[in-house]
Amino acid sequence: MSHLTDQHGHSTYLIELSNVNKTYNGSTDQVALSDITLKIPAGQFTAIMGASGSGKSTLLNLIAGLDRPTKGEVWVDGIRVNALGEAALARYRRKRLGFVFQFFNLLNQLSVLDNILLPAQLAGLQSKVAHQRARQLLDQLGITDKARVYPGQLSGGQRQRVAIARALINQPSVLLADEPTGALDSRSGDAVMELLAQINEKGQTIVLVTHDARLAAAYATRIISLRDGRIVDDSILQAPQHQAPSDLLHLHSEEAV
Amino acid sequence: MSLKFGILGLLAETPLHGYEVKTRFESILGHTWEVNIGQVYSTLQRLERDNWVEAVGERGDRGKQAYQLTAQGRQALDHWLSEPEAEPQQLHDELFIKLMLMRRLANGNLEGLIARQRRVYLQHLRNLAELERHARAENRPDLLLLIKGAVIHTEADIKWLDVCLEELTSLQPYHPDSEHQEEKP
Ligand SMILES: Nc1ncnc2c1ncn2[C@@H]1O[C@H](COP(=O)(O)OP(=O)(O)O)[C@@H](O)[C@H]1O
Ligand SMILES: [Mg+2]
Repeated sequence: MSHLTDQHGHSTYLIELSNVNKTYNGSTDQVALSDITLKIPAGQFTAIMGASGSGKSTLLNLIAGLDRPTKGEVWVDGIRVNALGEAALARYRRKRLGFVFQFFNLLNQLSVLDNILLPAQLAGLQSKVAHQRARQLLDQLGITDKARVYPGQLSGGQRQRVAIARALINQPSVLLADEPTGALDSRSGDAVMELLAQINEKGQTIVLVTHDARLAAAYATRIISLRDGRIVDDSILQAPQHQAPSDLLHLHSEEAV
Repeated sequence: MSLKFGILGLLAETPLHGYEVKTRFESILGHTWEVNIGQVYSTLQRLERDNWVEAVGERGDRGKQAYQLTAQGRQALDHWLSEPEAEPQQLHDELFIKLMLMRRLANGNLEGLIARQRRVYLQHLRNLAELERHARAENRPDLLLLIKGAVIHTEADIKWLDVCLEELTSLQPYHPDSEHQEEKP
């Protein structure tokens, strides 16, 4: 399978999956993804939608190198992820990826600041630089006053902000988020999506899984729909079109009295 | 939204002439709707004919006539306000017919039709999100209610599409012969 490149030999896409299959072997083989071909340019905010079991998490995990395709290729930021050995994979995940989960996955025995700093320490980032970035992220995500607090004392929405800051500390090429609003009420869900949209505005590529059509449409720019492990729709939404509020009401003005 | 009961409701507060009815009604609706002055006048005439409103005072300058509610009109208004709305929003019949025909005609690509329809709804949700941002910025709770209603309806439309897809694709492929046997001689 040829890998699309520009005239300098670099991929024109940040993420590229070609003819990817994923089958889980068990008592009966479970096809989680079949023949997925997908190209995502840098800077895009993509939402993956689909019913439970349609393969959304599997797709994200393949991009994250948390799982390997049964067939096909996964390229991210010029790296052939499916061909990496374990050590290289670990490095790839530390340096190029940020991952945000539905249930935050924060370490409760560490303060907010230390949670955010942890991936930087693991990646061997200079402590001064790491602290600088952490401060900046805390500020950007509106949780500066929570730096010394422990996750147990935070609301769901605040925990997810910490998780986003942690995912961004190593300035990843791609931010992956699997149902980041799934455990949040509607208001904090909107707030988290609003933050992700702001981060994307600054150039961060984001691939997010959600089953909330409203949130996907309101904040992402591209929506990919999966069904039974296949892509059934891939659409780029237009900039919001102006709509007169009167179009929202069906007023029977000509009714006979 | 009914102009008739809108007028009755406004006249229950104070007597008004036609143009005042128009501007007050528009303000109640958060200026989402331009009320046609001609319709206000013709509705007032019919309400007067039915004895739900009556003219008060003299005809003012340029023929302006104020109206007030009659006891009978008040009763009709109270009844209308206390009654729940009987009809929920209707489904989109045209899409339904399209789906049914697609299924019959040449094993139509339902997945494609539904995907295209879903795009339209997703774009609508995107537009509504923008409208919601404006309504919040302008502190317009009345508009927000309207927008949230539209959002919830659109979300339901998307869910319905998902159900259509699941149900229709789990059915046996359509065979013209099997469905119309009762029509054969
Ligand atoms: N580790 C696994 N072992 C076996 N089957 C799995 C595993 N992970 C996912 N699956 C199966 O693959 C399909 C897709 O799963 P998943 O990607 O988690 O879906 P989604 O995130 O859209 O709900 C499902 O049928 C699921 O049961
Ligand atoms: Mg999942």
